[in-house]
Amino acid sequence: MTGGDVVLQTTNATNATGAGVSRPPSAPLADSIAGMLGLDGVVGAVVGGLIGAFLIANVMLTTTAIAGPWAKRKITASFTDRIAVNRVGPFGLLIIVADSVRLLSKELIVPDGVDRPAWDLAPIVITFSALIGFAVIPFGSGLQLADPETGVVFVFAAASIASVGVVMAGYASNNKYSLLGGLRAIASNIAYEIPLIVTAASVVIFAGTLQMSEIVAVQRQPLVTVAGVTIPQWFAIVNPFAFALFTLANLAEIGRNPFDLPEAPTEIVAGFQTEYSSVYFVLLYLGEFIHIFLGGAIAATLFLGGPAGPVLPGFVWFYVKMWAFFLFTQWARSAVPRLRIDQFLDAGWKGMLVLSFANLALTAILVGVIV
Amino acid sequence: MSDSAPDRFRSDPTQVETDTRDARISGTDDRFNSKLRQAFGASPFILTKFDQFMNWVRGSSMFMLQFGIACCSIEMMHTYAVKHDLDRFGAGVPRASPRQADVIIVPGTIVSKFAPRMKRVYDQMPEPKFVVGMGSCTISGGPFQEGYNVVKGAEEVIPVDIHVPGCPPRPEALIYGVAKLQERIATGESSPVVVKPYELEEFGDLDRDEVVDQLAEEIDEDDLVMRYNWADSP
Amino acid sequence: MSLEEPGPDADAAAVARAADEMEALVGEHVRSRDDHLNAPGYVVRPDAVQDVLGTLREEANLDHLSCVTAQEYEDRYESIYHLKSYDDPTHEASVVVPTPKDDPRSESAAPVFRTADWHEREAYDLVGVEYEDHPDLRRILLPETWQGHPLSLDYDQERPQIVPLREHANPLEDDQEGDEGETMYLNIGPHHPATHGVLHLKTTLDGEQVIDVDPDIGYLHRCEEQLCQKSTYRYQIMPYPDRWDYISAGLLNEWAYARAIEDMADIEVPEYAQVIRTMGAELCRIAAHMLAVGTFALDVYGDFTAIFMYAVRDREKVQNILEDLTGQRLMFNYFRLGGVVWDLPDPREEFFESIRDFLDHLPGSLEEYHDLISANEILQVRTVDTGVLPPEVAKSYGATGPVARGSGVDYDLRRDDPYGYYDELDWDVVTEDGMDNYSRLLVRLREVEESAKIIEQCVDLLEDWPTDDRTIQSNVPRTIRPDDDTEVYRAVEAAKGELGIYMRSDGTEQPARFKIRSPCFSNLQTLPEMSNGEYIPDLVASLGSLDIVLGEVDR
Repeated sequence: MTGGDVVLQTTNATNATGAGVSRPPSAPLADSIAGMLGLDGVVGAVVGGLIGAFLIANVMLTTTAIAGPWAKRKITASFTDRIAVNRVGPFGLLIIVADSVRLLSKELIVPDGVDRPAWDLAPIVITFSALIGFAVIPFGSGLQLADPETGVVFVFAAASIASVGVVMAGYASNNKYSLLGGLRAIASNIAYEIPLIVTAASVVIFAGTLQMSEIVAVQRQPLVTVAGVTIPQWFAIVNPFAFALFTLANLAEIGRNPFDLPEAPTEIVAGFQTEYSSVYFVLLYLGEFIHIFLGGAIAATLFLGGPAGPVLPGFVWFYVKMWAFFLFTQWARSAVPRLRIDQFLDAGWKGMLVLSFANLALTAILVGVIV
Repeated sequence: MSDSAPDRFRSDPTQVETDTRDARISGTDDRFNSKLRQAFGASPFILTKFDQFMNWVRGSSMFMLQFGIACCSIEMMHTYAVKHDLDRFGAGVPRASPRQADVIIVPGTIVSKFAPRMKRVYDQMPEPKFVVGMGSCTISGGPFQEGYNVVKGAEEVIPVDIHVPGCPPRPEALIYGVAKLQERIATGESSPVVVKPYELEEFGDLDRDEVVDQLAEEIDEDDLVMRYNWADSP
Repeated sequence: MSLEEPGPDADAAAVARAADEMEALVGEHVRSRDDHLNAPGYVVRPDAVQDVLGTLREEANLDHLSCVTAQEYEDRYESIYHLKSYDDPTHEASVVVPTPKDDPRSESAAPVFRTADWHEREAYDLVGVEYEDHPDLRRILLPETWQGHPLSLDYDQERPQIVPLREHANPLEDDQEGDEGETMYLNIGPHHPATHGVLHLKTTLDGEQVIDVDPDIGYLHRCEEQLCQKSTYRYQIMPYPDRWDYISAGLLNEWAYARAIEDMADIEVPEYAQVIRTMGAELCRIAAHMLAVGTFALDVYGDFTAIFMYAVRDREKVQNILEDLTGQRLMFNYFRLGGVVWDLPDPREEFFESIRDFLDHLPGSLEEYHDLISANEILQVRTVDTGVLPPEVAKSYGATGPVARGSGVDYDLRRDDPYGYYDELDWDVVTEDGMDNYSRLLVRLREVEESAKIIEQCVDLLEDWPTDDRTIQSNVPRTIRPDDDTEVYRAVEAAKGELGIYMRSDGTEQPARFKIRSPCFSNLQTLPEMSNGEYIPDLVASLGSLDIVLGEVDR
């Protein structure tokens, strides 16, 4: 991994100095794996890319497996004065194995009248759209699968495919609750995607690039030094307003409280997932959690300096930031009531959209004046 | 007599094993065969371990159906909540959709109007599924047994794995019941065979009797119906 | 009830005078008098029901149709309309409508009192009286295909029954042939996380908006009235009330039966027992309101979140105290005719200590609730001005309890028709004028404070109660046979509102008719009024704010 680190450092250095110079998209992790295997050219790119993708996907799936059946329960339990799983294995950790195997081994019920290809594809689309997003996320320590110049655009594009999946699931399930969930998902995604991306655009204006690694690199520069402690130029510190907007829109985008309208238990049973069982349910469940982590990863990259942090290696810091975001969503889930759909959309179109454009305009002016 | 005795009581253990195994493999008696065993033929060790593992899995983690009927559901909520925390046993995630649930706790009196709906919810759950009958009402109708509208126990409608008596049972009792269920599943005792005491029938299939004739106008031939005879029930 | 008879003779005379005045108002229709223990009863012709009820409502201020009881005698059917006044619930009258055996038709009261709609459907369903001019006379508790009327005299319980399950019933289908329809029909329940049990809401949606909702009840109709009619007054009936409103409100329900039978059989209750009853009942009210708040939060927040768990935590504390007192967590069976079953647990100091401990912590946890729920801006946005129930509508539907008080109707039987020890204690009736879901939530939270005040005073009283005067039960005969044809309707303020019991004796040990007036039954009727035109989440929140218990709705 140290080798990868070096690679990342060097690419960053070159990028930072040679910004604006067109060059082929870099793929740090794939390159370093290919380098380790002694392959180069197309073969090296393909083999390195595949192995890298395998690695990243597994890291994320494992993370989700820990988060879904175990961490979520433990976190919720500590918010509500309970203990939660503690009988199966140490700290109840074996519940991860038990839960996942049991869910996978359940009967897969295909209800009458479902719209077959769409119904089957929906869980896959939801899960993999989120996983694909991780392709351009710089985890730090050289763990970045690809680093295209349009990284930010790619990650948002990939993440929003999930709403297509949700709509497919809702529409194809032949269940009115699912349909309502699907419709809510469309409405919320259209309303909150725009503020989300417009807010991200303000970061892009600051950084002057769409490339993930460069956005991270820009944030590494010092902002101020107070009493010997250098505060880096994290965009969350530079523009806390944008960060707050982004976090809110992000919550809506990943469908968490107080914006968990597409699922909304107690209103529409389980929303778009009502009819799914067994493997498909596992996929949906995974998809949901990977989305939370993707949301966390984007927030960390754009606003929290990516893998930056003292002492510990970059990857660990990045991981911690993702988990912090996960914890935040669970906290919101335990403590914040859900908005009604019309209020939610009102807040989106009349509030978030206006604020995010105001933020964009202000940022543009400031950057234009200062630079 | 003395000739047939060795046949009836075989004392040679290897003989017994071979016979049983042969019966299983040849398919003359496949009662003990899981699908995997049928697929893989006889290689008992791995499959036994696999079965054990699956039993452990099913016994250690279960999603409950968020399902409330009557008085017992209040104690059921308490069992999920702060003090008793059923989630310690890996059984504290209530799912609102029956498609994602493993265990249905039947917490209360079942009346004629609700019985077919409950049956429907049970049918919507994916196999393997388990039923915990909570409270006296699910055993016999409890204090309401003599009511004109009360179904006398959950077993009249769906198969029950564990009965937890009480009116209502204390949360501790329900936890004990769930733990017992887990223990049974883990040791492979809980039978995966689903006994169906009654099915929902289509109205058109019923034998013509006085009641059916009276209702023939009102009910569509394709409607599902539950037929319940209070005189015959326990 | 020694506490409420300051001048029996003067009182009786005043009551008689008031009754005669009322009779003069509707004199032309009154065929005879059939007075009940609690109120004068006017026998009227079946075709004069609307006239009589309308006149009494306008002229005599009897604006609360508390209950409609139907029953079958050997020679006739009878519907009884129990009328009260919201301003003064002791101002009562019963309108008795006999109908012939071979043609049990009676005029419906639904055009005068909207609450009569459901009450008369129930009477039709269970007893078989038919109401003319009723907007929608179908079965309400039993399945539509039920054969016979189970509370009629010649009902054969052994008869087989067939219950249909229509998979995709859509009552709007006929109106919306083809692709013209713009609405969607949605069954919410009977198994749905938001219905608090087994309620079925037939909902018609336009997008996310509810344009029509029709509650379908009866999924928990456990024949409580029939079972009570089969049980003896002295011992066998008392366990059943615990199971009507099963959310720990057991003692409040038991009190409804105790009050009715104690009036009917003229049983005295010692003061000491009254204080214990009052204390126990208010503990129950706290527990019930805690769950109401918790599940309301569950409906609005959407998961088993912190508030729900905190509410359950506080309920556990109350239940521990009640368990010490009664020996059970939920189904207490603690009241006896003429008192309670046993004295406070020993050592008394420890018991009082535990109650005081709970009361000391209560303001803290209430503040926590206010921080988490009522002060939360999102919750306010969600609940203020949603599920609006104007006071006149609430009255017309016979809404009582926190639902009525949340609409500004100042009506609480504990104060207005005092029983137990309430009139000796210092507490206030809580009302809010918001008429919305938020007000109902606030009323419940504030009522917890009032209940705590009452409990505190009771504990003070009990601590100082002289040792030689601790009579927990008066002398009650082993079997109770009230006089033949005694009729009484008595109500108490249960957790959800006015819980009334009508009983008619026939000289045996068992009541000939036992009718339960459940507050939730009337409160639930207001749901369409509150929800039509609103969004699904508001429908769910309104349902949560009504705080219904299906055991009590369906009985």
